[in-house]
Amino acid sequence: MDKGFVMREGENGFERAIAILEMIYKLPDNLSEEDVEAAKNFVFPELQHTVIGLLELPADRELELFFFRLLLGILKEAQNAQAEGKKLVFIPFTFPPEIFYAFDNIFPLCTEIVGGLITNICYGQGERFWDFAMGLGLPDSLCSANTIGTMPFFMGPGLRADAIVYNSAGSCNPNAKIHAFASDYLGIPQFILEKPVDESARGRELYFEYLKRFVQELEEWSGSEMREERLREVMEKSYQAVELYNEFWELKKARPCPVPNIFSMTLLVLRSQCWGRQEAVDVMQKMVDMSKERLRTGEYTADEELARVYITYIYWLFDFAGYFTWMEKEGITILGDILAIHYFPEMDFSSKESMLRGMADIAFDYPMTRQMGGESISMRWLDDVAWAAQDLGADACIFGGVHACKHTLGTAAYFRREMMKRAGLPTLMLTGDVFDKRHTPMEMFQEEVKTFVDQVVAKKKAPRKRKKVQAGGGAE
Amino acid sequence: METTKTLGRETEIYNDYVKDWKDKGGKVVGYACVATPVELIEAAGLLPYRIKALGNSDTELADGEMSLFNCSFCRACLQLGLDGTYDFLDGLVETNGCDHLRAMFENWQHQKNLDCFYYLKVPHFLRDDSLAYFEEQLEQLKELLEEKFSTRVSDEALEEAIRGWETVREKWRELSALRELEEPKVTGSEALALEVKGSSMRSEDFSRMLSQFMEERKNAAGIRPAARLMLCGPATDEVEWFEEIERLGAVVVADALCFGSRAFATAMVSEGDPLHRLAESYLSSIFCPRMYLEYARRRDLLMETARRARVDGAIYLYNKFCDLHGVDSVLVRRDLEEAGIPVLVLEKEYSAKADIGRVKTRVQAFMERIGGGA
Repeated sequence: MDKGFVMREGENGFERAIAILEMIYKLPDNLSEEDVEAAKNFVFPELQHTVIGLLELPADRELELFFFRLLLGILKEAQNAQAEGKKLVFIPFTFPPEIFYAFDNIFPLCTEIVGGLITNICYGQGERFWDFAMGLGLPDSLCSANTIGTMPFFMGPGLRADAIVYNSAGSCNPNAKIHAFASDYLGIPQFILEKPVDESARGRELYFEYLKRFVQELEEWSGSEMREERLREVMEKSYQAVELYNEFWELKKARPCPVPNIFSMTLLVLRSQCWGRQEAVDVMQKMVDMSKERLRTGEYTADEELARVYITYIYWLFDFAGYFTWMEKEGITILGDILAIHYFPEMDFSSKESMLRGMADIAFDYPMTRQMGGESISMRWLDDVAWAAQDLGADACIFGGVHACKHTLGTAAYFRREMMKRAGLPTLMLTGDVFDKRHTPMEMFQEEVKTFVDQVVAKKKAPRKRKKVQAGGGAE
Repeated sequence: METTKTLGRETEIYNDYVKDWKDKGGKVVGYACVATPVELIEAAGLLPYRIKALGNSDTELADGEMSLFNCSFCRACLQLGLDGTYDFLDGLVETNGCDHLRAMFENWQHQKNLDCFYYLKVPHFLRDDSLAYFEEQLEQLKELLEEKFSTRVSDEALEEAIRGWETVREKWRELSALRELEEPKVTGSEALALEVKGSSMRSEDFSRMLSQFMEERKNAAGIRPAARLMLCGPATDEVEWFEEIERLGAVVVADALCFGSRAFATAMVSEGDPLHRLAESYLSSIFCPRMYLEYARRRDLLMETARRARVDGAIYLYNKFCDLHGVDSVLVRRDLEEAGIPVLVLEKEYSAKADIGRVKTRVQAFMERIGGGA
């Protein structure tokens, strides 16, 4: 049914998504159940799932409304950046955005955030953009996250970036390749920060040298130097959010988990697009405060926390309601995914050089870059996720494999075996897609997860019945 | 002309040449990527052996480790690593060519735990800092080979190996010239068969084989091809594919394949000590889509090759799930077609015999399009 949100041929998906998202300014701050119901009924099915995913559970509602309003503000800044004399650069979700905020005249826009917005806000999700890419002859084994994130800018009039940057050469072929392709297709420059697959001190030092060259190239291209004072301001903001991130991590350890599932998605978007800005601090603060309050009151959505799962790779993000909300209602807590594991070094704010060195460490250890660009994909991935899962008290793991991710798919069998040996955690192996529901529908995901939790996790948690030993040695 | 008649196609992974080498007490080090300087292995007195699958279509063991979304060539090679076919290897050099290849090597090493295993980390662009790093990598590889095989790699030995492989490249260029003749004296399938065979030989023997083959062919009658084709794409050792295409009347007069002309693209620089020269020469001659900033160089090389060989059309053939080549093929098709060279992009599975019929039909249609149809 056309409710006025249908995209027209050739329309720029990013601009369309922003236009639809502007509805949230019209919503009252304190949404009632009736308001949510009305909002849900007002929109088309895809957006209904988003409305439910973000607003149905009272615990999510206030935070997500707050967050999306701030996010919209940032996206509108991206939209207006060029008019204000700034260069707009596309960045991937494996790159710390704060480095770009440290420039006076560069504004970053994360392509995967664009893809996520379109998928969760636009009619028909990102399918038309994926299909457009296929029409260009691109292989269907690419990553939907960044393909859907870049294709809207290939189609029709609207926002165009001035450059593309990526750091996944050496850690993820599909990601790096689609960004390189976009650079060629759109005729805009590309800047590359290669991660050496070398975890030695030499590898880190080389990366630091690469980062300095990268900054220098951006300075030359944008015509302005990265000022130390601005870098410090951004890094201080970044580290305020880091403090809150650490607190947030600790809160997830409580049983039942006081952190709503949807906050995992919120953290991902914050880190990919907002870090280094006040908005990230404000939203993180609110997430921590709300989780603390839930901890104090013992609030949990389901009657019982049946399972605490660690998503060993990434969330599927094409249906917030079907994924996050459904699991929460079922008593399945999502503790995190690979993108939730961040390593922030002690930051020395004393000079530009020292802050860039810290930034190099952050980028080197950035989620996915660290693991998939590790000296050993499987070992680094296993070490990190096993640590996170154990630290947060997971009962089990779910590998939501994505068909594009050949690195993880190529080592997932080893990962699952070793996770069981090392941490005693069973892993449910699933294959689907982050943004494209056509690969594996959410209903199938739910069925598999439910069976896994009922058959494996619940049995694992239940106390074992001791077999009675009969005289003569046989078990009864 | 019967293809590969005088040559004989390689059918055994552990072939007579390697057996003979091992029988004489020689050691063998495997590698997969053309970014690996084979000169270094040879200078250590070892036999460099390029990992191949020779059409193996059984991937049962490999499928237990890698997924079906991974490259079937890598899975076919891993299978042979896991089932013991490659147990004759005394060492293995991993490279970060692509995501599939990295996963293949990791699984191989997890299962086999080779004592001599080195991960050669090849940068994705050529710059002073990346070159210095790559040179250090080669130094480390050299030290590892010296330690594991109780040998010493002298500058003299390296120079000799460099000369040896330069001769191979020179011979390959001569062979390419015979392919590019108005009436080619060497077919594409023969060239590929030679490379497949030679990639498990030491340079002097490879050179000798090329010389003998060319000597036989020099005075032979040429072929009048129904179409002159160029094949582009990743690593494939499937001579059969070339043969099937050439049975349709076309001749693959040029290629830009990883088992093929790209393996001989290294242009040796003359300045500096041998290790530095190897580092610079190799890093500057990787015409692979993994070098993200160098599409223009790859395109120019393809254009130059296509023009020199006067091709009627190009076929870009790659294995399913190869993102590097899948994406590059879109740009190559756009640019070659703009330059008046028709391009057919084909995606296939490695060694999938069922694919041959489908591919033949498409090649036939393509040949009709470019005026070479029967």
